[in-house]
Amino acid sequence: MLNIEELKQKACSTIDKRKKDLINIAKDVLANPEAGFRETRTASLVAKEFDQLGIPHNDGLAITGVKGRIAGGAGPGPKIAVIGELDSLIVEGHPFADQKTFAAHACGHHCQIGMMLGATMGLMTPEVLSQLSGEIVPFAVPAEEFIEVEHRLQLREEGRLEFLGGKQELIRLGEFDDVDIAMMCHTASDMGERKFAMGGTSNGHMVKYVRFIGRGSHAGGAPHLGVNALNAATFAIQAMHASRETHKPEDTVRVHGIMTRGGEAVSAVPSDVRLEWRVRSGSPQAVVRNGAVVDRCFKAGALAVGASVEITNIPGYLPMRHHAKLQDIFNSNSVSLLGESSTLVMPPRRNRGGSTDMGDLSHLIPVCHPYASGAVGSGHSKEYIIDDYETAVINPAKIMAMVVIDLLADGAGKGKEVSASHRPAMNKQAYLRFQREQAQVISFDGNV
Amino acid sequence: MASQMLSKEELKKKASDEIDSRADEIVAIAKAILKNPEPGFREIKTAQLVAGKLAELGIPFRAGLAVTGVRVDLVGGTAGPALAILGELDSLIVNQHPHADPVTGAAHACGHHCQIAMMFGALYALNQPDVLSALSGRLIFMAVPAEEYIEIEFRDSLRRAGKIDFLGGKPELINVGEFDDINLAMMLHTTSNPAEKQLCISGTNNGTIAKKIQFIGKGSHAGGAPHLGINALNAATLALSAIHFNRETFRDEDTVRVHPIITKGGEAVSAVPSDVRMETFVRGRTMDAIMDANKKVDRALRAGAMAVGASVNIQTIPGYMPLDQDKNLSEVFQANAESLVGTDNVGYVAHRTGSTDMGDISQLMPAIHPYVGGASGLGHGADYVIEDYGLAVITAAKVLAGTAIDLMADGANSAGKIIAGHRPNMTIAEYLKSMREIASDETYKDE
Repeated sequence: MLNIEELKQKACSTIDKRKKDLINIAKDVLANPEAGFRETRTASLVAKEFDQLGIPHNDGLAITGVKGRIAGGAGPGPKIAVIGELDSLIVEGHPFADQKTFAAHACGHHCQIGMMLGATMGLMTPEVLSQLSGEIVPFAVPAEEFIEVEHRLQLREEGRLEFLGGKQELIRLGEFDDVDIAMMCHTASDMGERKFAMGGTSNGHMVKYVRFIGRGSHAGGAPHLGVNALNAATFAIQAMHASRETHKPEDTVRVHGIMTRGGEAVSAVPSDVRLEWRVRSGSPQAVVRNGAVVDRCFKAGALAVGASVEITNIPGYLPMRHHAKLQDIFNSNSVSLLGESSTLVMPPRRNRGGSTDMGDLSHLIPVCHPYASGAVGSGHSKEYIIDDYETAVINPAKIMAMVVIDLLADGAGKGKEVSASHRPAMNKQAYLRFQREQAQVISFDGNV
Repeated sequence: MASQMLSKEELKKKASDEIDSRADEIVAIAKAILKNPEPGFREIKTAQLVAGKLAELGIPFRAGLAVTGVRVDLVGGTAGPALAILGELDSLIVNQHPHADPVTGAAHACGHHCQIAMMFGALYALNQPDVLSALSGRLIFMAVPAEEYIEIEFRDSLRRAGKIDFLGGKPELINVGEFDDINLAMMLHTTSNPAEKQLCISGTNNGTIAKKIQFIGKGSHAGGAPHLGINALNAATLALSAIHFNRETFRDEDTVRVHPIITKGGEAVSAVPSDVRMETFVRGRTMDAIMDANKKVDRALRAGAMAVGASVNIQTIPGYMPLDQDKNLSEVFQANAESLVGTDNVGYVAHRTGSTDMGDISQLMPAIHPYVGGASGLGHGADYVIEDYGLAVITAAKVLAGTAIDLMADGANSAGKIIAGHRPNMTIAEYLKSMREIASDETYKDE
């Protein structure tokens, strides 16, 4: 019988042995980026690895998700998911962008697949697995980046999705019903000497797909017969800027978006202008409140020129709630592996501004979502690349394996403790009800 | 046996000689008014000066029409139509003008003082017994108030006090019936534009409506609690942007002009502005164009309010109707202008984008509003002054008198033809109804 430290050493030693393979897997995913709900190649790569490890798995969950299941050898206990995100962003000009789709791993998710498999390999070391209670659920999940809204709405139309984010959809499908604790690790840049950062929170958000309908007309010959949908949209955007002063600092409000269609041809009055918009805030209530302000701005834009507007509100992500005890376990493992100065723990109210669907999961079960260094460049930009795979893949694989050992060894005492101490912000039914309430279509005719 | 009737040319010669012989006295009227400028519905001293001059002549007159207007009717030798010659009493307010009143800032930066003088010149010329007896019908000389559409707040207070219904002089004179018995009307305005030459014929002018706007937000500490405020200034600036966003839908031929000002932009810089006020005109070539633009302006104002969750009060006030000058009447004027200053010195402008309440008169009867040179500087500017009183007053008086003679001599044959050939756009009753329908007062808040 090995003690916990020995179990961790065994697991880490397995990961070290497979280091080259793990980094190659990450680089393979990097070289073949696929945006959310399109990650078919990446998913089959994960499935193939699971097969090689002899892990039973279910595929095609929320279109592309791959969920494995490994029972520990020491009897029943909590089920711990080790999550890796499959999807890329779309960043034209990224050095590793797909030349056709411009999909690119500008957020390091390819490393997550490597580290998820690495942790799994470590935990499957026979002497380790035999001493763990409960189950390990290695889980490759789709579509964390909330992009390509129009495409995903199409999938929703076709009945292939209800929610447009991967973990949201997996929650709806019940794929987290049998998971007690979940963890993942995201890469980050500009962390100085730190190897890991954790804690704080993230913004919740709401996604809006907006269509301004005006009336086309010859822009030179008969502009007076047109209704300029582009003017309606620019007015709406100005109105949002004017509203910024009413954002409360503690709400960390972010209102931003892109125009996916700005008119048809320069010689015609634009009659069809489309936007994808995002409203982020530190609490679900503030998201709803600030979302209503943005809706009012869109309506005012339509009213300003006599256009009409259709706002499709799409439930976005909830703010992140890290489980303190789980995070402490993660932190103590990174300290023991890499030293005291290797980790940074943010104050609980520190908001990173961005959003992740791990936030949704965090409202239901204990989760942690720390950051691992190893990247350079600004996240989501074409400069964001991984320059240290040891740090970005191997270290997090080891720490996650060590955390699972802490949770599930010794009769899973710690795992049960984490699970029992968790106060969920909402149950699954309440979560689905809240999100479904956000899904609405607002139509407004400003031609009055 | 009655004395031989004088020919038109002989009548004009007598008229011109009379004006020349009293030139100093006539110009002195203009200069006296220049020194005592008074804006619309406040032209007390100017009206007294007019009344004093009429009293000197011993002709009965009526005063206090539409607050300050003065009217005198001369009766020709035989019956016939009624021709009005108008002179505007009011000044602008231009503080920096060299002849501005140091207390009120009132200044004749649009040359109206010359109009009263030229009207008297024509009156002296046509009131000669052998001239007047050769004319048929009546000649009405009317000093009219408040052509410049300014001091809206003050005029609205007169309206609320029941002293006027409309905020412009001629609309109010129409309202009180002073144009009921008039068949044709003319006046002559000064200009500083050399392209318009010494005398200038013109066609049309924009009409306008006026708007008073108040955005109501919610005050709050701008540093401490901006999230509790509703910024009425943001509502107003967004509304201005929304107006700009609509400009591309204004047709060239409609010459729409929307030019707002902010008269109150907030209370104190440390508070979220909760009370922001604007005024604007909405001008256009036709009433349809004005009302179309007005609808878009109203929508833009509401959008500004909606954008930030404020409310907006929009008061729409009837202004002036577009000026549509009678071509036949213009031709008579033009012939007199050409014979006085030579064909080369007569200009023509098809359309002007400013507005005058002579437009309202032109909706009802044949009317003209040509221009006379003699001024320099920019109209309504601090540098607009009359350089040549000989042209701006004396020649002006002669061309008005000559035109009146052409119209009203020979049994007013010419005036009769012009009246018969003119199709008024509306009756006085229709005009008053339509003006009252423009007036509205609405408060909008998106709930």
